[in-house]
Amino acid sequence: MFQRLFKGMHWPIIVSACLLAVFGLIAIYSASFRMNGDYAAKQGMWFVVSIVLFFVTVSIGYRPFLNVSLLFYTVTLGFLVWVLLFSETQFGANRWINIGRFAIQPSEFAKLATLLTLAQYLSGQLTFAKQTKSVLIALGLIVLPFLLILKQPDLGSALVFIPIFVSIIFLWGLRKRYFLGMLGAGLCSLPVLWNFLKPYQQRRLLVFLDPAHDPIGASYTAIQSKIAVGSGFLWGKGWLAGTQTQLDFVPEHHTDFIFSVIGEEMGFVGTMSLIALFGILIWYMFDILNHTTELRARLLSVGIVSMFFFQVFVNIGMTIGLAPITGITLPFVSYGGSSLAMGFMCLGLLVSIYKERSIF
Amino acid sequence: MKIISRINLIGCAVAIGFLVLAFGLFQVQVVKGLYFRRMSENNRIRLIQLEAERGNVVDRNGELLASSRRTYNVFAIPEDFDPQDLSILSKLLNLDEKEIRKRMSEHRSASFTPVLLKEDVIKEEAIKLEEQKPRLSGVFIQEQSIRSYPNGTLGAHAIGYIGKISREEYEHRDKSLYHYNSWIGRAGIERIYDAQLRGEDGGRQLEVNARGVPIRLLTEREAVRGKDIQLTIDVKLESRLQNLLGEREGAIMILDLHSGELLALMSQPGFNPNIFVMPSKSQERLDVISSRKRPLLDRGLQGLYPPGSIFKLVTAMAALDSNLITPNTKLKCPGYFQLNEKSRMFKCWFHEGHGEIDLYTALERSCNVYFYQVGRLVGVKRLAEYARRLGFGSRVSMELPTAEGLVPDEVWKKNAHHEDWFAGDTISFAIGQSYLLTTPIQILRLVSAIATDGRVTEPRIVRAVGNLAGTNEFAGKTGKQSDKKVQLDSGDDRDSEKSATEKGIRRETFKAIRQGMLQAVASDKGTAQLARVKFGKLAAKTGTAQAPPGNPHAWFAGFYPFDQPEIAVVVFIERGKSGGLTAAKIAKQVVSEWKDIYVPAAV
Repeated sequence: MFQRLFKGMHWPIIVSACLLAVFGLIAIYSASFRMNGDYAAKQGMWFVVSIVLFFVTVSIGYRPFLNVSLLFYTVTLGFLVWVLLFSETQFGANRWINIGRFAIQPSEFAKLATLLTLAQYLSGQLTFAKQTKSVLIALGLIVLPFLLILKQPDLGSALVFIPIFVSIIFLWGLRKRYFLGMLGAGLCSLPVLWNFLKPYQQRRLLVFLDPAHDPIGASYTAIQSKIAVGSGFLWGKGWLAGTQTQLDFVPEHHTDFIFSVIGEEMGFVGTMSLIALFGILIWYMFDILNHTTELRARLLSVGIVSMFFFQVFVNIGMTIGLAPITGITLPFVSYGGSSLAMGFMCLGLLVSIYKERSIF
Repeated sequence: MKIISRINLIGCAVAIGFLVLAFGLFQVQVVKGLYFRRMSENNRIRLIQLEAERGNVVDRNGELLASSRRTYNVFAIPEDFDPQDLSILSKLLNLDEKEIRKRMSEHRSASFTPVLLKEDVIKEEAIKLEEQKPRLSGVFIQEQSIRSYPNGTLGAHAIGYIGKISREEYEHRDKSLYHYNSWIGRAGIERIYDAQLRGEDGGRQLEVNARGVPIRLLTEREAVRGKDIQLTIDVKLESRLQNLLGEREGAIMILDLHSGELLALMSQPGFNPNIFVMPSKSQERLDVISSRKRPLLDRGLQGLYPPGSIFKLVTAMAALDSNLITPNTKLKCPGYFQLNEKSRMFKCWFHEGHGEIDLYTALERSCNVYFYQVGRLVGVKRLAEYARRLGFGSRVSMELPTAEGLVPDEVWKKNAHHEDWFAGDTISFAIGQSYLLTTPIQILRLVSAIATDGRVTEPRIVRAVGNLAGTNEFAGKTGKQSDKKVQLDSGDDRDSEKSATEKGIRRETFKAIRQGMLQAVASDKGTAQLARVKFGKLAAKTGTAQAPPGNPHAWFAGFYPFDQPEIAVVVFIERGKSGGLTAAKIAKQVVSEWKDIYVPAAV
C-alpha cells in the first residue's frame, strides 16, 4: 500500500512545503513565546495532522474530491451561515467553530470547496456554447461564500476568492471581451462592496492610499510593520531578538504579521530564503499544471496556484507597504490549524494530479 | 495550443509578482535597512492625538449653554523621560515626585504613547515649561479644550454633562472615535448627541531622535470640530422660573404649541454640570451623586408620580367619547361615595358635598364623587385604554430619554401583585390615584393634546444641529425645522379631519374638557382660580396627588390663551401639599413671565 502511495511522489513540493512550515514554527515560537497559549506547540501538532491529511488526500486522489465537490460546497456554506448566526464573537468577528479546545475556521475550507466545485462545474461546460450562462453560474458559486465571509467580517479570506475565480475562468477559456467586460463590471461594483466593509476595514484601505488618513491607528500599524521588516537589514536581529514585534508594535504577529517577525529576526537572507521556498513551491505547481491534460485537473491546479500566490503576495506585500492590510494569512507559515491543514490538502490534490498524469 | 499560452500568461504574472516582492524587500531591508534599524531602536515613532473641539450647545436665542475653553495640558512619554529630571519637573509643575511617578506608570493603550501629567496649567506655567523643554526630554504641552457650562444649573438636566471615558467603556467602543483619554457624554444632550458633538479626533505621527526630540512630522490629520446643537429652551425664561421655584423640588415645563418646542424644561433640585468636568471638584461630584434629593434626576422627564386629579381629565374624556355621559349629565355628590351599603366610604375632598352637578362643574371643582361614579361607568379596561391612547404608560418620543410610567389594569395587577382587580381600584384609578404613575412630561403631552384637539403631542428640545459658528445663523435654519411640525393656527386649520381623530377622540370631547378647564380657572369656585391672570383666559386643571408617606404632590396643567392656545404649561411641586394652592400660584407667575418675554406689549 505504502509502495503505491509513495510511487511517483513529488518530493520537491513536499520538502519545500515542510520547510516553510518549519520556518513558520520557528517564527511562531519567537512571536508568541511571551504570550500564553503554547502557539508553537499547537501549530506543531497541526503540522503533524496536516501531513497525515496530505497523505490521505494523495491516496484518495483528486477525482473523488471533485465528484463530491458540490456536497462539500453545500456543507461548508452551511458552516459559514452557522458561524454568522450562532458562533460567539471572538476578536470582533464570527469566524470560528469551536470543537473542544480547537477552533475551526470554515472560511479556509470554503476556499477549497469552492475551488473544487468551480473546477468540476466548468470542466463540464463547453466554452463555445452558452458561455454567458456558464459564467454566471460560476459567478454565483463564488459570490455566495464571498459575501458570507465578508460578513464575518474577514475581508482577507473573502478577497482570495477573486483570484481563484479569475484564474479558473480565464484558463477555462473565457472570451477576451468577456474577460475585459468582467473586469469593468468588477470595478463598477467596487462602491457597492465598499459599503459592505466595516469602518476599520475601510480605514485600512484608505490608509494604504493615504497614510495621513488615520495616523494614530491603521497607518501606525503599517509603518511599524515596515520598520520591523526593514530593521532586520541583511542578517536580522537574531531569533527571539526582534524588538518591534516583541514589544507589540506590530499586532497579530503570530498570524497575519508573521512575516514581519521573520523579516526582523532573520533579515534579508531570511526573507529571500522564504521567497525562494515559495518560488520553488509555485514553480513545481506550474510544472504539474503544465503536465496534466485533464481539463478539470488543470482548472483545479490553476485555482490552487493562484490562491497560494495571491495570499503570499498580499501578505508579504502588506508588511512592507505594497498592499493594504487586509488580514490574509501566509500559507504554511502563519499560525492557524485550519489554514495549515487546508494548505497541505491542496498540495495533496496537486500531487495526486501529478501522480495520475498521463505519461506520453 | 491556446490553453498553454494562457498558462504561460498566468505564470508570467506570478513571476512578476515575485520579482516585485523581492525588489520591495530589497528596498526595505537592504537600501533603507539601516534607516529602519535606527527607527526601531528605542522606537522612533511617536503618536500624538489631537483632540477635536467639542461642539457648543446653545439655547433658542443663541445663549451658550455648553462650550469649550482652551487649556494647556502637560503630557509626557515615559519611555523618553529621563528620571534624573524628576526634581526639575516636579518643581515646574508644582507636583509631587511620587505623583509624577504614579502617572508615568499609568496603563496605556500602547508603549511610547503619552500620559497626562497635569491638566489645565496656567499660561505662565506653560511658558516656563516650554523654556525648559530642551532639558526635559519626553515632556510636552498640548492645547486641549475643557468643557464649561456658563449657565451653571440652568437647563443642566437637558444639557447633561461629559466625563472621562472609563477603561471598560473604551474596550467596547470604536477605537477610532474614542481614545484612552477621551471625554464622553454622560447625560442629557451631551450623551444622546455625543457622536455629533464630539467631532473627529485627529493625530500626528512624529519621528523622534534617540533622545525623544521630534525631528520630522510623518503624517498628520487635523481634528474636525464637532457640530453645534441648538436647543429649543430659553435660558432667560428658565432663570426667571428658577426664582419662582426657589428651594422647592419639582418641575416646570412650557411647550410652544405652534412648533412643539419646549421653551422651558426645569427640574429642581438641579446640579452644576461644571463639577463633572473640573478635576478639583470630586467632593461636589460625590455629594451630587449620593444626595438623597436626587438632583441628577430630571423630575420632568423621568420622575414618576401619581397624577392625582389631573387624571380626571382622562376619565372624563373616556366617558364622553364612549357616549356614557354628556357634558350635561348630572350626578349627585353628597360628600362621600359607597360602592354598596356595606363598603367603605370614599370621601370627596369637599366634605359637605358638591350637590347635583354636571361635568363642567365637576371639572371646575374637581369633585371626586362625580368621577368615582363616572369611573365606575367607564370601567378599568376602557379607562386604561384611553390612558394609553393619550400617552400614559409609554415613553414620550423626544430627543431625551423619558420614563415610561405605569397604567394599571386587571392583567397587570394579576402579574405584579397576584391579586384580583377590585371595584375600589377602579374608583381610585378614576381620580388618578392607586397604581397609576406618570411623568410630568406625559401630563404636558396630555394638556397639549387637549388644547389642540390632539395635534401637538410630541415635544422636542433640539432645534438644529450644525456647524454654525455665529449663533445668528441658527435663526435662519429654525424656520425650516419647525415647518415640519404641524402648525396650530386659528379656526380653518382645525377642520382637517385626520388630525382631529389622531388619537381617535372626537373633537367635541376635547371641547367639553377645555370648557371645564376654563371654568376651573375662571370660576370663583374653581380649584385653579389662584392661577387666574388679568391679561387673558387661562384654562387648567390642578391635582393634589396622595403619595404617602409625606405631603401630597401638587400639580398644575393648563394652556394659554383659551381661545387660540399658544403654550401648554405644567407645574409640578414634589410634596407641594396642594395643587390649587402651591402649584396654581406658581403657574400664574409662570404664565406671566412667559407673556412678559413672548407677547409684545400692546402699544
